[in-house]
Amino acid sequence: MKKNKSMLLIAWLLVLPALVIRGFTIIYPIFATFKISFYKVSLLRGINEFVGLQNYLDVFKDPKVLTAIQFTFIFVVVSMLLHIIFGVILALILNMDFKGRRFLRTIVLIPWAMPMVVIGMAAKWGFNNDYGLVNDFIRRFFANFELSWLIHTNTARFAVIAMDVWKDLPFFAILVLAGLQFIPNELYEAARVDGATKVQAFLKITLPLIMKNILILSIPFTMWRLASFDIVYAMTSGGPGSDTELIAYRITTEVFTNLNLGYGATLAVLLFIAMLIFSSLNLYVANKK
Amino acid sequence: MLKSKQKLFLTGVFKWIIALLVAFLILFPLYWIFISSITPSGELFQRPINYLPENPTLSNYIFLLKNVGLMNKIISTVIIIGITLIVSTIVSIMAAYAFARYNSLGLNIAFLFILFSMLIPNVVTARPLYDFMRKVDLYDTYPGLIILYISQVIPFTVLILRNFVNNIPISIEEAAAIDGANFFQMIFNIVLPLLKPAIATVAITNFIICLNEFFIPLFYANNIQVLSTAITQLPLQGNMYSVPWDLVSAMGWIIILPIIIFVAVFEKQIMDGIMAGGVKA
Repeated sequence: MKKNKSMLLIAWLLVLPALVIRGFTIIYPIFATFKISFYKVSLLRGINEFVGLQNYLDVFKDPKVLTAIQFTFIFVVVSMLLHIIFGVILALILNMDFKGRRFLRTIVLIPWAMPMVVIGMAAKWGFNNDYGLVNDFIRRFFANFELSWLIHTNTARFAVIAMDVWKDLPFFAILVLAGLQFIPNELYEAARVDGATKVQAFLKITLPLIMKNILILSIPFTMWRLASFDIVYAMTSGGPGSDTELIAYRITTEVFTNLNLGYGATLAVLLFIAMLIFSSLNLYVANKK
Repeated sequence: MLKSKQKLFLTGVFKWIIALLVAFLILFPLYWIFISSITPSGELFQRPINYLPENPTLSNYIFLLKNVGLMNKIISTVIIIGITLIVSTIVSIMAAYAFARYNSLGLNIAFLFILFSMLIPNVVTARPLYDFMRKVDLYDTYPGLIILYISQVIPFTVLILRNFVNNIPISIEEAAAIDGANFFQMIFNIVLPLLKPAIATVAITNFIICLNEFFIPLFYANNIQVLSTAITQLPLQGNMYSVPWDLVSAMGWIIILPIIIFVAVFEKQIMDGIMAGGVKA
């Protein structure tokens, strides 16, 4: 490492543009969000007054926010469980030794590379009762099947989660695959010599070795889900009612549509805190194992 | 002998069946979007779906070009992504090099700040940033959007490039310094050539990330539309359904086709990029 003063000056000059751009879009806005969260600001009614923790107390009496928190929780937990289970399976498939491997890996990259809005817009139509792809497919087997997926709470929630998994599962699987490739082949050979079946080898060798990897991977994936916005914006606009509203969607509705800046900021601060707690908890667990 | 050959054959068939099933789940919806885009509106709203349209037409694409200003949106997207990629790569290389090669408490804190800032989702800073952008007249302008796009990709890019610089032995630079190379010669003749593959990887991944960006153009622009925001604002054209599926499918395919080609061409670099940093598009 180079140390003298003029060298350090060069280093700061090199770092400066990145820091300024990043700081400009993060530091001021985050402090502003914290500050406004203690104010009652309503642009529509021309109010701007300090209310202390009032906004924070109101959160837990607001049915729309409670619904959003509930669905965000369901969305994150169910989607992550599906990611982990099917992610491992898909990673094993991508790791299969056969001629079509590269072809399959290329295809699997496509959902990752597609904008979520495009997927959401297509899904909005794909889950349409009469003309959607999903029901058309089901009707090839059950001719009388009728269901408007997106107008019932449970099926709409299911559809949103399904599309989220469709887009990001391949990406998750590729990252699991990266971990799989680090497992030395000798381990499997030794197991085979000892008479272990393939299932036993998977349970006793593969799974324990990739568990930590999966746990660490799950941190960013959970964070992205906690702050998901595009999918609901494009696919359901939070409907039916506000049953598929994710917390990020609720926040943008408060601050950009309802213009309740203070209240929206409060929700943003709570989301931020939730993410902080979650990530430190996860890092702690991952480091311990 | 024959038995093991048979077994090998059967596992081969089994592997292909599974692979084709996965491929089907991913590709068939894309095919459906494609055939929808070339199906005349009259046939589009019919059940069951006709997967081989009898009268294929390009009318939806022509409508997008003539009445929705598709060309403008493509140009906006290209301008924003192009400048973002160039500037963010330069800015990130500078920072990554400094973070890798120099060490001080201040620099470490700066690096942690950039890493930590990745944790803060867009929506948390959205409104104050929006008000600020309006105040300094950057709202709905190219410079404003580009700054936000650049900021979005900086943390990941710096992180990846710093790891790559760390892998270049410092002795090469020291040898060059002894031979009398100045700082700029060292950067341009030694460091940059060695970083080329890493730069290609981050540029390719950042291209996808920028193309997928939706939050920024949605909330910090109004007249300037990129492809991802434009697809949510297509006119219903008097059809009675909630989604202008004829136009959405055509617009969707315009976005999807280049992505498929891009992914097929750069499969290796994208895989490297994903595995190096776990990038969210």
